[in-house]
Amino acid sequence: MHLVVCLKQILDPELPPGEFRVDAQKKEAVRGSASLVISVFDENALETALQLRDAAGQGKITALCVGPESAVDALRRALSLRVDEAIRIREEEFPALDGFGTARLLAAAVRKLEPADLVFCGREAGDWHGAMVGGLLAGELQRPFVSLVAGAQRAGEKYALRRQTDEGWETVECAAPAVVSVTNDDANQPRIPKVKDNMMAFRRQIPAWGAAELGVAAASLAGPNAALEFASLYVPKSERQCQVLGGENAEEKAAQMAKKLAEIQVL
Amino acid sequence: MKNVVALLIAAPGSLRRTEAEVLSAARRLADGLGGRVTAVILGAADESWTADAAAYGAERVARVEHAALGSYQAELAVEAARQACLALQAEVCFVPSSTYGLELAPVLAQKLGAAVVADVTAAAGDAATGAVKITKPVYGGKANSELIARQAPLVLAMRSRAVAPVEKKAGAAAEVMKLDVQLDAALAKSTIVERKTEAAGGARLEDARIIVSGGRGLGGREGFALLEELAGLLGGSVGASRAACDQGWVPASWQIGQTGKKVAPELYLAVGISGASQHLVGIGGAKHIVAVNKDEKAPIFQAAEAGVVEDFKTFIPALIQAVKKHKAAEGK
Repeated sequence: MHLVVCLKQILDPELPPGEFRVDAQKKEAVRGSASLVISVFDENALETALQLRDAAGQGKITALCVGPESAVDALRRALSLRVDEAIRIREEEFPALDGFGTARLLAAAVRKLEPADLVFCGREAGDWHGAMVGGLLAGELQRPFVSLVAGAQRAGEKYALRRQTDEGWETVECAAPAVVSVTNDDANQPRIPKVKDNMMAFRRQIPAWGAAELGVAAASLAGPNAALEFASLYVPKSERQCQVLGGENAEEKAAQMAKKLAEIQVL
Repeated sequence: MKNVVALLIAAPGSLRRTEAEVLSAARRLADGLGGRVTAVILGAADESWTADAAAYGAERVARVEHAALGSYQAELAVEAARQACLALQAEVCFVPSSTYGLELAPVLAQKLGAAVVADVTAAAGDAATGAVKITKPVYGGKANSELIARQAPLVLAMRSRAVAPVEKKAGAAAEVMKLDVQLDAALAKSTIVERKTEAAGGARLEDARIIVSGGRGLGGREGFALLEELAGLLGGSVGASRAACDQGWVPASWQIGQTGKKVAPELYLAVGISGASQHLVGIGGAKHIVAVNKDEKAPIFQAAEAGVVEDFKTFIPALIQAVKKHKAAEGK
């Protein structure tokens, strides 16, 4: 069993809004003092793959990351959680990547890594929230795509994928090879690496694949989204005025609140 | 671009808010473009969906009913949607950002050679140029991005609970058609073997009229018992911020925000929630936001229309009493 997990390194989304700035010219966030982290749903995807391998008692996991040189930190984190291999795809060789381009690069990497039974992606990245790469990757590889998975198990020759729906839960059975997108759940909260695994990860060499290794030309990556004009990026202003419900004590404030609730007709 | 499709995936019962939002987004865009809306109903939905789609402004309702579309299956749904979009010459196709919508959208877009954007909060049309301006929050809601599409086709997954439904016009007429598709059952590569409806306390958060929600400030599971009592009195449901879920105080299914549920209640009462932007993303559809926090500088007060600066431990019991008193006075 070979599992591939796709990770993205992003600006720490926990950065307080007060410190968050955008560069309106470049149309991207200013890094400032923010650290770089693995996008949250990708951590859930990694955990889901690790649990599947734990339960199966065997199997190999490869982590892939399309990113700049700094992305080796995300891959080291994955290695410290005991994935077997970690490979960086050299984003610097492929300017202006969008979801289609990222999916094509990942597809080329997965083909090099075949056989790959299940490919895991986070449901969306925590920076641009595209939510498209998993499905586009499945399309590129001509594999089935299952969205919003929170747990995966072997079910004979197939996999049983437990996923969130609008109403609750469902289990999807699917034969490998397939691509899944992973959402967050109590069941797939990321584990913490052990100190000795951290040290091991630090010593590992992380290969970087570019156009030559992948056999992909940068010019071939433009998809239909290239026709969209990215017109602007801005921080919206909050214009709301908060009415402070005052009083000498909790009882008085509670009476004010009850009055307010009656005013807006919920009481 | 003038030909706008609202893709609705059949579900048991009557048309839900999710479908109403997709139809409303399509209607608003078509109004801007001077175009028209075709509602495509994929699978065997209740008969009433046709009239409801018309009531939400669809000029045409195309029902795609094929034996293989009995209950949702990914590959068959994508193929049926692809054929429907081609037959109707869809230029813009709206889908919901539901589990099935997010599964279908990228694969459908790829097959149609369409540009695709998910988590869209607004799509505005310009009749003069035919262009579509797409608004999509990014960076966990800290920023907005605007994209302009000048070419068809386009697949847009609307963020749930971000679009206020258009006014429903009961009795509105629409052209109704059956749309035939060719489907081979062998296309199906996965099977849904089990479906479970969540047993939630109160209404589904997405449909709740009143939500009392707690965050890190509650300090533990016990605080949520107070919120449940208050929600019970108000006829509402209880939600939580990511911080409270991550602590294990309440189940992840209660989580509201970018990484949780998107809600649109009449009242959102945030208790001990600081108001991180990733949380605010989930409550953009709320009509009234009211906050309780002992820190007067908490960012939640910038999103709230009214607030109380007080420790929830003393305030919520007092509010429970005040609500009971109000109800008694009203004779409820």
